[in-house]
Amino acid sequence: MIYLDSAATTLQKPSAVARASGWAIGHLASPGRGGHRPAMAAAETAFACREEAAALFHVPDPEQVVFTFNATHGLNIAIRTLARPGGRAVISGYEHNAVTRPLHAVPGLEVAVARGALFRPEAVLEDFARELDRGADLAVCNHVSNVFGFVLPVEEVARLCRAREIPLIVDASQSAGCLPLDFQALGAAFVAMPGHKGLYGPQGTGLLLCGTDPVPVLYGGTGSESRRQSMPQVLPDRLEAGTHNIAGVAGLREGLRFLRRRGIASIAAHERALIRQLGEGLRQLPGVEVFLSQDPEVQAGVLSFRLAGRDCEEVGEALGEQGFALRAGLHCAPLAHQSAGTLETGTVRASVSAFNTPQEIGRFLDAMGRLAKG
Amino acid sequence: MLYYLIVCRSLTYAQRTAAALERAGITARVIRSPRSVAGEGCSHSVRIAQWDLTDALRVLQRAGMSPKRIFVSGGNGGYQEVPL
Repeated sequence: MIYLDSAATTLQKPSAVARASGWAIGHLASPGRGGHRPAMAAAETAFACREEAAALFHVPDPEQVVFTFNATHGLNIAIRTLARPGGRAVISGYEHNAVTRPLHAVPGLEVAVARGALFRPEAVLEDFARELDRGADLAVCNHVSNVFGFVLPVEEVARLCRAREIPLIVDASQSAGCLPLDFQALGAAFVAMPGHKGLYGPQGTGLLLCGTDPVPVLYGGTGSESRRQSMPQVLPDRLEAGTHNIAGVAGLREGLRFLRRRGIASIAAHERALIRQLGEGLRQLPGVEVFLSQDPEVQAGVLSFRLAGRDCEEVGEALGEQGFALRAGLHCAPLAHQSAGTLETGTVRASVSAFNTPQEIGRFLDAMGRLAKG
Repeated sequence: MLYYLIVCRSLTYAQRTAAALERAGITARVIRSPRSVAGEGCSHSVRIAQWDLTDALRVLQRAGMSPKRIFVSGGNGGYQEVPL
């Protein structure tokens, strides 16, 4: 099988990830829940993982690195903290349901969309500036669209937000590990990311980088200040109620170490080259409409396409039968499809990782060629 | 042997504290705080040798880290708070 669905989950991981998770199941207990060796070893693993993440994303203090179950969990915390009933939020036109559904759940919240045309960062910025000038309690900006790979101008959006003192949440689900990300320079209130995509960790892991005091969504034991019935004020304890997924954290640490060794800039260049090869190859095929940016810098390792007269799910299915793993449909991001004009049809999405090769893309193009000729 | 306990606001903070001290060549071990010094319930402390306290405080100050409370072990197994 050729796996081209890394925007959902990276399937090929560094071998150290599975080794570390497997070892952790047999050797690590719960951080903060005992002074014995397995508990303290678990605490050391958790701290080492926080330190790796802090170094990779330029977070001043490892206490600001909070473990979550996935990016959705982190985004829920961030939105719960900043959105107030009857308030106003400004979001990009490329947000995932992980952002739009928690916002929708806030009573009376007005959600303004800074839509911006696909692959036109300057249009996104203009729309953000206009909507932010109307006032907002918070802004949310996806770093990279999970449908189109569109790299949004998150640094400039952050600058607009800082100038207006509007807290910003960055959804780094598709960019963490794939593009450089500087938390300190962004000055964001929160950056949420999954562990199981570009960070090459196991499913069930995620990170929330905190630049402001958060409101918990889970309450419970933390192994600290146990006499108190309110949650501890300090991070990360405030957001980490209940037993950690320490096997996941151990694997995630290895994923982060892999990124540090390999270098995020090198991975970004590799993935962009594969997407260019893929997009330009698909463009040559009859009936294939490809969403490929003219400027390679504006697209990361994700690409959508449609085949004229064919249902995208049928195309995905046909490719699956030939041994290619892609995702078709709306990709949990109807807003992004609305912004790009593909809401009614959906798209087929290919997404790559550090482990894909030009040869795999070539084989996929051959298969697509046969499919396009019908 | 006498030793000091630097009581920390969280396990992660205790780990940061210990890491900063170890980097400066001071042996530091994260432990569960004894109940008599734990304050609001369970907490973690960093244990250092008696002769390292002055250097440890200097290192932590340079790192911008402020200890919550410090205790010194007594001969009878109890702990006495050290005014900061």
